[in-house]
Amino acid sequence: MKRKLLAMIMAAVMCATMLTGCGQGDDAQKQASVTEDNNGKKSEGTVTLRFWGGVPQESGPQDVVDHFNEAFKDKGIQVEYERYVNDDQGNLKLETSLLAGNDIDVYISYGAYKMLKRAGGGMALDLSEFMEKDGFDYEGMFGSSVTSEYLDGKPYSIATVLTKGTLLLNKDMFDAAGIPIPTEWTFEEFRDVCKKLTHGEGQDKVYGMFWNTQQNVTEYWLYLAKQTLGGDLYYKEGGLETDFDNDVIKKTAELIYNTMNVDGTAPTHVDSVTEKLTQEGMFLSGRSAMTVGNWTIRSVKNTEEYPHDFVTAYAPYPVIEKGERNYTYGGLGDEISINPKSEHIDAAWEFVKWYATEGVTYMAGGGRIGLCNTLDKDILAAAFSEGAEKLIDMDSAKPLIFPVENEKLTLSTITTELPMLEKILAEETEAYLTGAKDLDAAFADAKRRGDDALASAQ
Amino acid sequence: MKLSRKAKRNMAGYTFILPNLIGVILFTFIPIVYSLIISFTNWDFTKGFGNWNWVGFKNFVDIWSDKWFVDSLKNTIVFAVVVVVFTLIIALVLAVVIDRFCYAKTPIRLALFMPYISNVVAVAIVWVMMYSSWGPFTQMVKKLGVDNPPQWLGDYKWSLPSVIIMTIWGGIGYAVMIYTSAIQGLPRDVYEAAEVDGAGEIRKFFALTVPFLSPTTFFLVVTTLISSFQVFAPIQLMTRGGPGSSSSVLVYYIYQSAFSFYKMGYASAMSWILFILLFIVTMIQWKQQKKWVSY
Repeated sequence: MKRKLLAMIMAAVMCATMLTGCGQGDDAQKQASVTEDNNGKKSEGTVTLRFWGGVPQESGPQDVVDHFNEAFKDKGIQVEYERYVNDDQGNLKLETSLLAGNDIDVYISYGAYKMLKRAGGGMALDLSEFMEKDGFDYEGMFGSSVTSEYLDGKPYSIATVLTKGTLLLNKDMFDAAGIPIPTEWTFEEFRDVCKKLTHGEGQDKVYGMFWNTQQNVTEYWLYLAKQTLGGDLYYKEGGLETDFDNDVIKKTAELIYNTMNVDGTAPTHVDSVTEKLTQEGMFLSGRSAMTVGNWTIRSVKNTEEYPHDFVTAYAPYPVIEKGERNYTYGGLGDEISINPKSEHIDAAWEFVKWYATEGVTYMAGGGRIGLCNTLDKDILAAAFSEGAEKLIDMDSAKPLIFPVENEKLTLSTITTELPMLEKILAEETEAYLTGAKDLDAAFADAKRRGDDALASAQ
Repeated sequence: MKLSRKAKRNMAGYTFILPNLIGVILFTFIPIVYSLIISFTNWDFTKGFGNWNWVGFKNFVDIWSDKWFVDSLKNTIVFAVVVVVFTLIIALVLAVVIDRFCYAKTPIRLALFMPYISNVVAVAIVWVMMYSSWGPFTQMVKKLGVDNPPQWLGDYKWSLPSVIIMTIWGGIGYAVMIYTSAIQGLPRDVYEAAEVDGAGEIRKFFALTVPFLSPTTFFLVVTTLISSFQVFAPIQLMTRGGPGSSSSVLVYYIYQSAFSFYKMGYASAMSWILFILLFIVTMIQWKQQKKWVSY
């Protein structure tokens, strides 16, 4: 009998430790942070904000946090950075943490679509009162396009960076072929340049262009079409019908098809998929003279992992014909929001304000260009190319990556069933690029399926 | 303490399993019930718990006119059937051959077993390289005189078979292991009697080994079928369901609907359909086993 009693007690103790296990961790953490605060210079009332973002610590956020902590140590606010990976799982982790409580004070969303979803779900604080109170002129400092990210006329975030899309060029190859760095060009001119830059055979072949379609089969080439059609090119006026049969979209898809399958000046989609090609592996190893999207700049600067010595230059995406450039390809990004459940909302607002108008400068080294017009462009440019001054041609970059007064960006304002439409367009584009369907059939099917999806969403 | 002896004994027992039981209830049972509830709603998880609209059986009805679901279901069934049949046949033959005709049995079995205990991510990446245009598969087919070799993972017809081939290769080792241990327990005297009666190797294989091993086969069919229905990692790593929906499988599409399209209710409805499907298939197998499994 005694033994049984002992067993029961043991089991009960085990249970108890298991149940309290989770809770204790939190307490221990809190205690640790309190003692840390006590060791700090300002012992009482120091608030430590927890700040989540998707950029790796070393590509800017650590600089941001260090500068902030230095500047605000006397005001009793400190910040800790935590990275979440900006993919499906990472975003899910962020959202569940936001729903679960106050583990996060400030966080960054990547793209209006995700940010607005969070705002609608009560995961972001309405900032209008704070802005009014402090006389923070959001539209004045960040441009009127920020209103496209309002929800019911109110800002739930501050868009901190401007992401403009350009091509990256291997300037050494252009120079060797005697081609000047283009500042404006048409699809035909682009095709010719690709042909001139392509040479070699088999695994040593150097391509003119690399489209990166294995990573996303629609997004990158649509950048070209958006320059003519704008950010809502998925939808016809009103958003009740898809615009996949638009001639601009079809002609752009045809350009991709031609470079891949007719001219052989870009790796085919199938090769890109089956060989798991990457932009680093193609562009930075000198296997392609151009690539889509300037985000690769962070790898350009990483000469340790991707050793190369050619100069990278910038060029705009081509348009179908001269005069069809109605928009500058680009959008707002890195939307910073406050968790409404945060216990330090005032401190969080101080940090958000500082980040958007000053802190974001330290992100330029990672290729993110601040949107606020009070930021000094020369400082941004210097930070942008820091450590890689000989590898980046800033003369071609400057006109293309910094905000320009009154430019029309390709903002996306309609998002009905967007992820589904993306998948549909991706499947049909894939069918076209691999030769399973011809151009008209693929995009007619895309439109029919897309319209069905929109209809069922009504 | 007026508890009877028996009640006390039971109490002690329950106390022992309580830690585990709490875990199962919290992390398995409640989510299962919850997924059933949300399969009748259009819940968007960013809106928080309880914030949903009831849509009745809409999700369960809509599924059948969804091209992605139907394609994924077909692919899943093809995948499961082909994987089970080929894995078991190859494994059975290999197990017998290794047992009867091979020296250095242990190293061979170990080699076969390696893929089963290797990390699926590493395995998948190696296979992706093998399937590339410069990889051994394409080169081999070219050497055999085919001008237009299949593009494997990038090919509408070949993407699913490519993943199937890898899965069979990876699963054989486990089946061989199970078969081998069963073979070692077979009664030798029956085989000796058969030999006296003049039965050859082939005859012995079909008349003795196959029926003797039927309980093992049954076990392997049930477990392999269930795990094949739930295949996810190789698809996510190697093809992401593409090209088109040619290699999309149910679990992959469920994952996509939930975490890319944020349609939790719809995804839950699909999971329940998958569960019902698996349940029915397994039930049929239990009923049918009387006809071919001899213990």
